[in-house]
Amino acid sequence: MNTTVVGKNLRKVDGFKLVTGGAAFTDDVLLPGMLYGKILPSPYAHARIKRIDTSKAKALPGVHAVLTYKDVPRVPHTTAGQAWPEPSPYDTYLLDSKVRFVGDRVAAVAAESRALAEQALRLIDVDYEVLPAVLDMEAAMDAGAPVIHDEPDSTKIFDREHNIAAHIRREIGNVDDGFREADFIFEREYRTQRQQHCMLEPHVTICWLDGDGRLMIRTSTQVPYHCRRQVAMILQIPVSRVRVIKPRIGGGFGGKQEMLLEDICSALALATRRPVKIEYTREEEFYMARSRHPQILRMKMGVKRDGTVVASHLQVLATTGAYGSHASTVQGNTGSKVLPLYRAPHLRFECDVVYTNTPVAGAFRGYGCPQGFFAQESLADEIAYKLGMDPVEFHRKNAIRLGDVDKLSAQLGEGKEGLPRVIRSCGLPECVKRGAAAIDWDRKRQSLPARAGFVKHGVGMSCTMQGSGIAGIDWAASFLKMNEDGSFFLQVGASDVGAGADTVLAQIAAETLGVSLGKIIVTSGDTDFTPFDTGAYASSTTIISGGAVKKAAEKVRAQVLGVAAKMLAVPVENLACAKDEVFTTTKPRKSVSMAEVALQALYQEKLQIMDGASHYNTDSPPPFCATFAEVAVDTQTGRVRVVHLATAVDPGVAINPMQAEGQVEGAVTQGLGFALSEELMLNHTGWPMNPNFLDYKIFSAKDMPKLTTILVETEEPLGPYGAKSVSEVPINGVAPAIANAIFHAVGVRIRKLPIRPEDMLRALYEQQPELKPEEALVTQ
Amino acid sequence: MFDRVEAFYRPESVPEVLRLLQRSKGQARMVAGGTDLVVEGDRSVRFLIDLTRAGLTYIRSRDTTCVIGATTTLADLEESTAIHALAGGLLSRAAAACGSVQNRNLATLGGNLAHGSPAADMATPLLALDASVVVADGEGRHKMPLAEYFGRAWQNGASHALLIEVRVPMPPQNGRCGWSFQKFGRTEVDLSLVNAAAGLQLDARGRVKWARLALGAVAAAPFRALPVESLMAGREFDHSLLAEAGEEVMREVQPIADLRASEEFRRELSRVVAGRALEECAARAGCSL
Repeated sequence: MNTTVVGKNLRKVDGFKLVTGGAAFTDDVLLPGMLYGKILPSPYAHARIKRIDTSKAKALPGVHAVLTYKDVPRVPHTTAGQAWPEPSPYDTYLLDSKVRFVGDRVAAVAAESRALAEQALRLIDVDYEVLPAVLDMEAAMDAGAPVIHDEPDSTKIFDREHNIAAHIRREIGNVDDGFREADFIFEREYRTQRQQHCMLEPHVTICWLDGDGRLMIRTSTQVPYHCRRQVAMILQIPVSRVRVIKPRIGGGFGGKQEMLLEDICSALALATRRPVKIEYTREEEFYMARSRHPQILRMKMGVKRDGTVVASHLQVLATTGAYGSHASTVQGNTGSKVLPLYRAPHLRFECDVVYTNTPVAGAFRGYGCPQGFFAQESLADEIAYKLGMDPVEFHRKNAIRLGDVDKLSAQLGEGKEGLPRVIRSCGLPECVKRGAAAIDWDRKRQSLPARAGFVKHGVGMSCTMQGSGIAGIDWAASFLKMNEDGSFFLQVGASDVGAGADTVLAQIAAETLGVSLGKIIVTSGDTDFTPFDTGAYASSTTIISGGAVKKAAEKVRAQVLGVAAKMLAVPVENLACAKDEVFTTTKPRKSVSMAEVALQALYQEKLQIMDGASHYNTDSPPPFCATFAEVAVDTQTGRVRVVHLATAVDPGVAINPMQAEGQVEGAVTQGLGFALSEELMLNHTGWPMNPNFLDYKIFSAKDMPKLTTILVETEEPLGPYGAKSVSEVPINGVAPAIANAIFHAVGVRIRKLPIRPEDMLRALYEQQPELKPEEALVTQ
Repeated sequence: MFDRVEAFYRPESVPEVLRLLQRSKGQARMVAGGTDLVVEGDRSVRFLIDLTRAGLTYIRSRDTTCVIGATTTLADLEESTAIHALAGGLLSRAAAACGSVQNRNLATLGGNLAHGSPAADMATPLLALDASVVVADGEGRHKMPLAEYFGRAWQNGASHALLIEVRVPMPPQNGRCGWSFQKFGRTEVDLSLVNAAAGLQLDARGRVKWARLALGAVAAAPFRALPVESLMAGREFDHSLLAEAGEEVMREVQPIADLRASEEFRRELSRVVAGRALEECAARAGCSL
C-alpha cells in the first residue's frame, strides 16, 4: 500500500508531554479545596451490616462526609463498562447493607487529608452479622451453599438460588455424532488463576461541581461514555448534568473498562459540594478492583487418525467473584474466540459462571481467551504428540483459514446472539512459518532436550486468535475541523489508555487528508467535547474508531477539494491532496497549500470546513498469532526460565508498526506472568494474602526472555487502511506455548497455572515423564 | 505512608546519631537506603534519622582486613575493586543478586544486616567470611562476630544501637580456594527462599582443607552450617561427599511454610542451593565434577 503516514513508525502525538512529566494524568491536578475520599472495605467475605454508626467519624474535624447505604440511592446496576443495555447482571449497589467479599464497600468518607480520611474510617462503628461464605467455585452451586445475591431487586442473574450469574450452552453441528466419527478422543482438565492487571496507574478519580453545578468527573477510564451513563443512572441525575474527562491513562488492560470509583467519588462530591479525589493504593487495587476470571476447563477433542479435528467440547466453570461484572461475556469469549480456531464441524461450549465471596473479576486483556487457549492449545499439543505429529503440522491441517465462516460466533455474541464471522484476511500460516523460523523450530524439536545436565531445554508453540471490536455493537464517531494554518482538530470519543490510540487515529486522519501527522491535533475521551465512542476495549479502537476517523476525514477532504477546485479552477475529480497541499492530477500541475485552502474557506467563503462520521462493523475480523517458546527447566529447583519467546502476529495492516510491536511486547509480558508467576491468593476467610509486588510476582526486566516480535501484515477489507487489531491476541498463546515447551523439555504436562518452581518440581516428582510417542492412545 | 513523621534528621556524625536516638525514646527509625523501611510503612514512626551523611560510607582495604562502612550501598559493593579482590569477588556477586539496579543504588550493607531479615542476601557471604561488626551505643563501640550480632535483640533497626561497620578478615590467598554465592527466589527479583554462601580450599590431591557454608532464609537467622563444614574437612571432593553434605544441610535447616513456599520445598532447595554453592567453590578452586 502506498501511504505516507499510515504504516510509519511515527512518534506518539502525546509522547513529549508524557516523557517530560507535564500535567497529563488524572492525579496531576490539584484542585482548590480538594478532599480525599476513602472507602471502608469489608473485613468479612460475607456479612450483613446489622448496625452502622458513623457519628464519631463525622465528628472528627476535617471530615466532610461519611456515606453508608442509608445515604445513597439504591439502584441495581453493573459496573461493567459495556454498551447499553449491558449484558452483565444488575447485581451491584453504590453501597449496600450486605457485603459479599473482603474488600466490598461498607462506607465512604471524604476528609481534608488522606490521613484524616483513614482515621475517619477507623471511627466508623459497624456490627456485622457474619454469614457463611463460599470461596470455592466448585462448591458455589451446591445445595445449601450460601446464596450471595439474595436481594430481590437484582436482575439478569441466571439462577440466584444456586449462585449462577450466567449460564451458556451453544452447539454447532452435533458434537455427540462428531465424537462417534472420531478415531481418538482426548479429554483433560485445566485450571487457571486469579490474575490482576497491575497497571502502572491505579484507579483514580477526581469529581467536582463546576460553576453551573454540573458534575465533572476526571477519571482514569477506558469507557468515558459508559461511565457517564452509568453514573447518571446510579445517582439519578440527568446525563446532561455529567461530564466525564479522560486525561492520559497509565494503562488499563480491561481493569478500567469498569465504572469503579466514579459513582462513589461523585456521591462524595455531591454530598460535600467540594472536589473529591479517590485513588486506590496498590494494595486496594489488588483486591478492590478487578481481576481475571479463574476457570476450571474440561476440554474434549475428537480427532481422526490423520490428525483432523472433528469435534470439540469445552466445559467451563468460572467464578466472577461477588458481582457479575463481564460474567457472561468474558466466558462467552472463552468459547466463541477459542473453539473456532479449528475447522471442526461440531463444536459445543458449555459454561457456568458462579458467584463466590471473592474479589470481583472483570475484563482483562484477552477477555476469556487466555484461559480457553491454555486448555485448547495444551490439548492440541498433547494430541499431536500422541499421534506422532509435529504440532506445527497439526495446526496447518486444522486451523481456520481465509474464506472460512465461523458459525459459533453467530451463536455467541455479546451476551446474546451474535453475527457469523467470515475470515477475510488470515496471516496465520505465515505467522506459524516465521515464528518457527525465529525459534529454529525444526532443529530444536529434534535436538532438544539434550540428555546431559539437570537443566533441560524444550520448545513449544501455540496458535491463537481474537476479535477486532464487538460485531454489531461497538461503534464510534469522530469529528474534524480545519484551522487557518491547514491543521485539523480531530475530536474522538475513543480512549487512548496509553497504547497509542490518539497517534494511530491521527495517522489515519493525516493519511486521508494528505497532511503530515503534526497537522492533526487530537482531543479524545471528553464527553462534553468529543462525539460518542463505546470505548477502548475488545481490541476495537483502531478498527472501529479508526473507521470513524477515516470516514470523517474523507468527508472533510471532499470539502477541502471543493474549495481548492474553485481556487484552481479545475474539476474536483482532477484534484488530490498530499504533503499538506492540494494539487492537480492532470497537467499542467497546479497546487494550493492546505493553509491557503483554509484561509480561502474561512475568510472568503465564510465556510468552516468540518464534518463528522459514525462507524460500526457487522463483523469482528480476528487478528491471528503464533507463539513459540523455548524454555529451560531446572529439574532440581523447578525453575522454568523462558529463554526465547517469538510472537508472530497478523494485525492486518499495522498503522504504526512500532506501537504495534510495543503492544505485542506488553501483552506477552503479562502472558509470561500469567503462565509462570502471577496469582492473587486468598486465605480460607477470603482475605488477600499477597496484595503487593513483594509476593504477587509480575515479570521484571531481569525475568524477561529474549523477545522476537514479528508482524505479519495482511489487508483486512473491513479495517481502515486494512487494519485489524493487536492489543489482546498476543497474550493468549504464551501460557500454552510454555507448557508445551516444558513437556518437550521434561515430558511432564502441567495443566494448572501459574507454573511456579514449586509446582514444577512437584510435578517432576509426581508425574512419570512421558517420553515415548508410541504410548497407547486413548480411544473410546 | 509516614503520616505521623514529625521530623527527618540528617545528622553528620555518629555521636549526633546516637544523641538523636537517645532523645527520640524508641519513636525514631534509622533510615539509610529506605528500601525496607519505606515498604514497611510503619505508621508509629515519629522521627526518621537519615544515616547517609554520618560518614559511614567507605570501603577500606588493609593488609588483613577489609572494612566496609554501614551506609555503603550494594551498588558500591558491586563495583568496588577492593571488594572484587576479596574472596574472588564473593561480596560483589552477592550484592549483584539483591533486588533490582534501583534497589541496589539505594540499599546499604548496614540496612541489609540491621533489618534483621533471615533472608538478607549479604548475611550469608559475610558469615562465610567470618566477618565481625562494630556497633555503637550510649556506652561506646563494641566489636562482635556477625553471628553474635544476629543473635542480639538490637538487630532491629528501632533499637538504640547503630551499626557502624563490617570488618572482613582477608581470607587465605594461597592454595586452591574458591568462593560462591547462590540464591533462589520465585523470580529473578525476589526475596531469597534460600541463599547460601560457601568457601572451600582444596589441597594438591583434591582433598578439602577447609570448608565454610552459610545458609540464609531457612532458619530464624542466617547461620553457619558447622556440621557440614566439619563433615567435609579432609575428605576428597566428589559426588558422594556432596550428597552427604546435602543430606546434612537438610537436617540443619529449619524452614517455615508460608504462601511463598512449603517447608518441604525450602528444605529441598536448601540441599540443591548449598550443593551448587559448594560445587561452584570447588570449580573455582580448580576441581570440576
